[in-house]
Amino acid sequence: MSKELIRLQDVCMAFDDELVLDHINLYIKDKEFLTLLGPSGCGKTTTLRIIGGFMTPTSGDVLFDGVRINDIPPYQRQINTVFQKYALFPHLNVYENIAFGLRMQRRPDPKDPTGKRKIRIPEDEIHQRVMEMLEVINLKGFEHRKPDALSGGQQQRVAIARALVNRPKVLLLDEPLAALDLKLRKDMQIELKRIQQQVGITFIFVTHDQEEALTMSDTVVVMNKGTIQQIGTPEDIYNEPKNAFVADFIGESNIIDGVMVRDNYVKMYGREFYCLDSGFAPNEPVDVVIRPEDIDIVPVEQGQITGTVTTVTFKGMQYDIIVDFKGFKWLIQTTDYSPVGARIGIKLDPDSIHVMKKSEYSGMFGDYSSFSEEYDELDDASTGSDEEGNGDET
Amino acid sequence: MKTRNSAFNRIFTFLVFLFLYAPILVLIVFSFNEGNSNTVWTGFSLNWYKELFQDRLIMRSVYTTLLVSLLATVISTFAGTFAAIGFYNLRRKKRAVLNTINNIPMMNADIVTGVAMCLFFVAFFGLWSSFAEWINSVQTLVQLPERLTLGFGTLLIAHISFNIPYVILSVSPKLRQMDKNLVDAAMDLGCTWMQAFWKVILPEIKPGIVSGALTAFTMSVDDFIISYFTAGSSSSTLAMTIYGMTKKRVTPEINAISTLLFVTVLLLLVITNIREARQEQLALRRRKIPTVTAAEAARYDKPNRFRGVPKYVGAAAVAVLLVGTVVVAGRNAGQPVVNVCSWGEYIDESLITQFEEETGILVNYQTAESNEALYSLLKSGAGDYDVIVPSDYMISQLIEEDMLEKLDYRNIPNFEQIADRFKNLPYDPNNEYTVPYMWGTVGIIYNTTLVDKPITSWEVMFSDEYAGNVLMFRNSRDAMATALLCLGYDLNTTDEMKLREAQQLLVDAKKRGVYQSFVMDEIYGKMEGGNAAIGAYYAGDFLSMRDNNEDLAFVIPDEGSNWFVDAMCVLKDAPHKEEAEAWINFIASKEANLANMDFIWYASPNEEALEEYPAYYEAEYEEALDQETFEIIAAPQETLDRCQMYVVLPAETRALYTKLWTELGI
Repeated sequence: MSKELIRLQDVCMAFDDELVLDHINLYIKDKEFLTLLGPSGCGKTTTLRIIGGFMTPTSGDVLFDGVRINDIPPYQRQINTVFQKYALFPHLNVYENIAFGLRMQRRPDPKDPTGKRKIRIPEDEIHQRVMEMLEVINLKGFEHRKPDALSGGQQQRVAIARALVNRPKVLLLDEPLAALDLKLRKDMQIELKRIQQQVGITFIFVTHDQEEALTMSDTVVVMNKGTIQQIGTPEDIYNEPKNAFVADFIGESNIIDGVMVRDNYVKMYGREFYCLDSGFAPNEPVDVVIRPEDIDIVPVEQGQITGTVTTVTFKGMQYDIIVDFKGFKWLIQTTDYSPVGARIGIKLDPDSIHVMKKSEYSGMFGDYSSFSEEYDELDDASTGSDEEGNGDET
Repeated sequence: MKTRNSAFNRIFTFLVFLFLYAPILVLIVFSFNEGNSNTVWTGFSLNWYKELFQDRLIMRSVYTTLLVSLLATVISTFAGTFAAIGFYNLRRKKRAVLNTINNIPMMNADIVTGVAMCLFFVAFFGLWSSFAEWINSVQTLVQLPERLTLGFGTLLIAHISFNIPYVILSVSPKLRQMDKNLVDAAMDLGCTWMQAFWKVILPEIKPGIVSGALTAFTMSVDDFIISYFTAGSSSSTLAMTIYGMTKKRVTPEINAISTLLFVTVLLLLVITNIREARQEQLALRRRKIPTVTAAEAARYDKPNRFRGVPKYVGAAAVAVLLVGTVVVAGRNAGQPVVNVCSWGEYIDESLITQFEEETGILVNYQTAESNEALYSLLKSGAGDYDVIVPSDYMISQLIEEDMLEKLDYRNIPNFEQIADRFKNLPYDPNNEYTVPYMWGTVGIIYNTTLVDKPITSWEVMFSDEYAGNVLMFRNSRDAMATALLCLGYDLNTTDEMKLREAQQLLVDAKKRGVYQSFVMDEIYGKMEGGNAAIGAYYAGDFLSMRDNNEDLAFVIPDEGSNWFVDAMCVLKDAPHKEEAEAWINFIASKEANLANMDFIWYASPNEEALEEYPAYYEAEYEEALDQETFEIIAAPQETLDRCQMYVVLPAETRALYTKLWTELGI
């Protein structure tokens, strides 16, 4: 990747003494696709709005190309935004929506040697650039439609065109796919990635959908309660979560209390398992993450530990089964069917065990005792939109 | 069961609507009546409408109403829109509080708002005059006006202030419906806040602004109570003028103007409602994700070339209207004026037009109900008139309290024509303050179809014989006088025992249900309509009533009665004294006195006018004036000998009057 473009230094944001962002430090490289990922109220949208210039941080600095831009208003930043629910101007048609930014622009008059006189962008250039964008988003022939005569996906693409036509250095996207249905969302994920590669600029993307984040991003920033939990590539984040929160938020995880007996040996359920992790103090209590899809079901007699199946759910590609191991319930994803009540054994490969330091989140996640409810919550999260943006709070 | 139920519902609905709309319907129907009755249909005619447009008092108040409504609408729409945006940007809790505060004035009783504003303005004027005096005394660069009065300005301020909440109420929901990110989006695309406001917020909330403006305009046109308290003496809105006209009786002319007012407000409401319904439909369409058919798409794809045109036409129309009203308003600004307060139907209105044409002085003509009402109006500071026409005893009181200005009789040469017996009367012994306007007597009016024997005594006002059919004065001096006369006492007595006795007489009669009601000018309608048998009132008014009901008769009882002179005076420090004297001189002329006498049937103090009146009558109506009628107008000396003038009572007696009157509980 190339050079650094945006840097947030010790950024804090407080609304009425409530700390929404707590010392955020983050740098964003040029032409990278970076995702701010976290649950509602984690501060991701606030971070985005600070970068966009819609809010000024309570303390800390925002640097753009090394220059402090805290007090630069949005209309003077080389940054454009695609808003949640698109925020298309309802009284303007598609053409005028896209042309809006160009019509606002003034640039030095080439005929004026002092360069002080500013002129509008000529109408034929506006026309050319708008038509170009319509081609990029595949909406040629829709110029005269009002936004309310477009489908959700079309509105989405117009919103992107309206931002990109200004040729910004950075495009901010605030949960742009949240209002689309699942199929369209998947298509738009690919479409977005394609557009980003085509125009070759930085995208900063806000979402609470971990799958979206993993699919599109070069870098994922996981946030919770106004702090950054982990920054890394999608693979890093998934395979090496830093704490129980990240492990739980990204994919499904069983998180078990353990003790790091020594390097490469972790003890849980009274039994030592060989693993690939090291660098802990001897006998340090740890959280052990085991992904549901990494668990092999074996006959009871071959199992490293054994338990009883309490719930089975058919998911199409696999079964989700909940297994009770001495009162702690695990989620296992498997293609093999086991009936409720069956006793089974499991086997863990060393690379399926990931050991994390204890954190404030220890003990809060990774138990599937309330399995069904947790599933409902997940469903809610993926369909509902992030409350942050509806901003009476902002 | 179900069908019966719905039939019942339908009948019930019909009855409810009948109940709601029947009165207005009757009013509208009778506005097209040829005759001047409100009960008998004599044929279709547009005469009353024609008359309406020739009535300068009405046309001027229509103009005032339109001007104040338009200006108030524009200003309050502007202020209310920005206030709504301010509210919207606040946090939810503060916004909720402010919204509640905003709603209170709309719920508040108009009378409270009106009185409060009136008091506020008067209090402010007091502070202002001391401030202006001080400013004027310490420097000479700028001279501030020291005396501010209620008038068009205060009326406008009041209208603006009661309109703003309606605008806020109508703009706020549009702001809330608006995607909050729209402003951010506009700013993101290069707009400053102000540009975002013009290009994005305004088009989005325009429907709310327009319906807010329409509501404000409707409210302004509609308003009576608040205007009544804040318009002062120099301006009168249409509603106020109608109210002034109804004091005597509801003429078909009032029906006509009320019909027009009703239709105007109805039209405005219809426009507002249609707009709102359309907006709702649009919002509904926006909310659901559209599945667009090819045909619909084709329609959307068609660029609309003419979209911009009506917008400019509308804007141009509003601009023209505004500039027009301001220009017309400005034209009147430099014109000299005189503010007159008199009694209801107490002048031939063509005299006002004639005076204005002759002198170029604009006359603001208003009326008060009674001397007592006028007095409290003056005391409250709300009655800032130049010329008033109080009765004798009230004049003494006003002189005593130093509320009148001495007249410069060099400016009133027509004073010479006033008969000597009306000069130097006890209320103004050296004739320094007054020029008599009209004189007359008080007597008993009765309906000969309901009263079979002739009335000769005031006793009839207190006896059970006509219980429930008697109308008594609704002012303390006249009402007490009837009782004092009945008891055989002097009507100017200061003897507390006698006064208490007189009051007891009224109290007892009231308790026994003798009185149908206590009235002033409402007596017109009641006596003319045959709704009451007996009432005490003024001789001139009796003759006006007899025009509409030939069964009425008038008598001055044997015990005697009150005879009175109403005289024109100028209030202390009146801002238009010169114009006021011009007006008084004009009214004192023989011609004006003849016109007034003919119009209101009171007697003129102008010697020649009084003598010439029978001849004038004959020339005008081609029939002789019968002596009896003339003697009712101008009581002959032997009748006047039985009558007495009121004299001003000492302060303690006046206080007693007030106390006794309050105890009576009218």
